[in-house]
Amino acid sequence: MHETTHETTHETMNKSARGTTRESVNGAVNLVVAHRPEAAPLLDWFDLTESRPRGRFRCYQGGDGIALTISGTGAHNAAAAVRHLHERQPEAHRAWLNVGIAGHRGEPLGTGLLINRIEHRRSGERHWPPVPRLGLPGSSLVSVDKPETEYPEDAAYDMEAAGFFAEASRLIASDLVYVFKIVSDNRASPLAELDLRRVPELIRLREREIRAIVEHLRQRCARFASCHTMPDEYPLLLGKCHFSATRKAMLAGLCRRGRALGMQQRLHTLAKQRFRDAGALLQAAEAALAAPAQAREAATGETGEGPR
Amino acid sequence: MFSAIYVEREVRDHPRTLAILDRYRELPLIECERYGEIFNRKAQNFRMQKDSQALILAHKHGRKVLPAPGGHGFGASPSHYFSHMLNCIYDCRYCFLQGMYRSAHCVLFVNFEDFADMIAQAISAGPPGQMFHSGYDCDSLALEPASGFARFFVPFFAQHPQAMLELRTKSTQIASLLQMKPVPNCIVAMSFTTEAAAQRWERDLPSVSKRIAALGRLQDAGWPIALRFEPLLPETEPQEYAELFERIFARLDAARVHSASTGVFRMPAGYFRKVLRLYPDEPLLARETRNENGIVSFRQRDEEAWLGELESSLFRHIDPASHYRCTN
Ligand code: SF4
Repeated sequence: MHETTHETTHETMNKSARGTTRESVNGAVNLVVAHRPEAAPLLDWFDLTESRPRGRFRCYQGGDGIALTISGTGAHNAAAAVRHLHERQPEAHRAWLNVGIAGHRGEPLGTGLLINRIEHRRSGERHWPPVPRLGLPGSSLVSVDKPETEYPEDAAYDMEAAGFFAEASRLIASDLVYVFKIVSDNRASPLAELDLRRVPELIRLREREIRAIVEHLRQRCARFASCHTMPDEYPLLLGKCHFSATRKAMLAGLCRRGRALGMQQRLHTLAKQRFRDAGALLQAAEAALAAPAQAREAATGETGEGPR
Repeated sequence: MFSAIYVEREVRDHPRTLAILDRYRELPLIECERYGEIFNRKAQNFRMQKDSQALILAHKHGRKVLPAPGGHGFGASPSHYFSHMLNCIYDCRYCFLQGMYRSAHCVLFVNFEDFADMIAQAISAGPPGQMFHSGYDCDSLALEPASGFARFFVPFFAQHPQAMLELRTKSTQIASLLQMKPVPNCIVAMSFTTEAAAQRWERDLPSVSKRIAALGRLQDAGWPIALRFEPLLPETEPQEYAELFERIFARLDAARVHSASTGVFRMPAGYFRKVLRLYPDEPLLARETRNENGIVSFRQRDEEAWLGELESSLFRHIDPASHYRCTN
C-alpha cells in the first residue's frame, strides 16, 4: 500500500520450529505484507504464530509450510523483508505471495486484483508476474515511492510490489512469485479518507481468493519441489567418501538419473558397499545405472527393476 | 488454451492483432514494449509455464529469413527457415525448444507481410527450387485458426512457384488448407513417432490416427504431403515403426508422397542440459546419452543396424529415392 503506520520491528525466525518434510510434500508459501492490519486476517486464517527471537522484520510461521513477514512501507523494505525471511528459513523451494491494499482510480473498494505487470515508477523497471488460470480479475500495478492520489494510469498503485517481486524472483523462478492487491482507495473514495481500521475487513473480503491463490501456489511449489529435491540415496552416498565440488555434482546427476529411471534401489545397494574413493563410487554408480543387463551384474543383491 | 495475451504496443492496432484479440476476448490483455522483456527475462521456468502458457503478439524486427542448418531438408537446393512464431502449444518431452527458450509462452509475429518481402528477396536472389521451412521454431499449423499463417503464406508461395514451402506440423488444423486449391510447391510435412512413444512423450497433441486421417484428407484434396519420422527415439523396436508405416500407407497413396525422412534424436548439449534441469524426473532424458561435437543423442545399441532395419521397412512402402536422413 500506501503509507499507513511504519511497522518495522527487529525479529528473527525460530529455526528449530520449522520442518521441511511437510513443506516438500505440500508446498511452502511465504507471504509478505506491508503492515500489521494487512497481516491480521492472514495470521488468523493460516494459524501463524510469531517466530522468536525477533529480527529486523516480524516473521510468523504455521505448521503447514506457510510463513509471513511484515515488511513496512516501500519497495526497499519489501525486498529486505523477503531476504530476511529467506535467510532465516532452512533451504527449500518456496513460493512467494505479496498481499496488500492498493489504490486504483476506477475499481470499486474491496476488489481483488491479481497483478500481471509491475512497473517501478522511480527506476522504470518492469516485472511480469505469472497469470495462472484462477479466474481472478487481473491488473497492472505501479509501485510508487510516495502515496499516489491522482491515479493517472488505469493501474493499481502500491509501494512495495516492485521491491518484493524483484527480490523474490532472485530466490525462486518468477513463476512462483505472485502479487495480489485489494483496492482500498479510488477517485471516489480517496486515500486521505482511508480508515486504517477498515484494512483487515478489506482483506477479509477476499478470503476466498487469497486462500485459492495460496492453495494454487502450494500445489505448484510442491510439484516443483518433488522433482527437484534430491533422492534419499544422495546424502547416503555423499557421506561415504570425500567428494570434490565437480564430483559432488556428478553424484547428484547420477542420483537424479537413478530416480528418473526407477533404479533407486540400485543406488541404495551401492550405499551399503565400501569404496576406495569418490571416483570408484561414481564409476560403480554409473555402471549400476547402465543398461539393465549390465546393471544387474554391477549392482549386487537387487532384482533389476529398470524400466522397459 | 492460453492464460493471457501480451501485446507489444507497436502492434496493438495491427489488423492481425485485432482479429486475434477478438478471438480471445475473455483473456487478460497485457501491454508491453518489446516481447523480449517477457520472453527473454531471467528466472523463468519453462516447465511451469507450460501449465499457463500465454500468447505474445509482437513485431519481428531484423532478419526474418535464415539459412536452414546443414542436414535439414531434402535435395541439394538451398534451404531457408523463417519463424513467424516461437514456441509451440504442444508439449513433446523431446522438443529442443524447451532448451532453446527461457519462456514457454508462444510469440506470434504478426507482420507476415515483412516476412513475405524478405522471402521474395531470397527467392529472386537464389536459384530455382529453394526450400523454405516454416516449422523450425514452432509447429506450422497448430495455431492456424487464430494466426492464419497458412491462409497468408500458401497464396504467397502460389505466386512464387519457383520456390517450395514446407509446413512442418503434428497438427490436424487443416481446414484453411482444405478451403484452398492445392498448391504444388507447398508441402505439408507431418511428423510421427510410434504410437507408444506418442502416448508417452507427446502431451496435448492430436493422436497418431488423427494425424494420419488429416494427412489422408489433404492428399485426397491434391495437396503434396511428406512424412517426417523424427525424432526416432531409443529403445523403439523397428517392428513398432513397421506397424506405424503399415497404418500410414493403408491410408495414403505412397506413390504420391513427396518425401519421407528419418532422424534420430539430437539436441545441442547446452539445450539438453537445460531440459534435463527442467525435467530431472523424466525417464526419457535420463537415458544414456553421447555427446559428439556438442550434440547430444541417445545411446542406441547397434544404431546403424537399428536404423537400417527401420528404414528397410519404410522402403517396403516408398521409393528410397524419396527418403533422406536428417542429420542436424
Ligand atoms: S509439436 Fe514439434 S514444436 Fe511442438 S512441442 Fe512437439 S516437437 Fe516441439
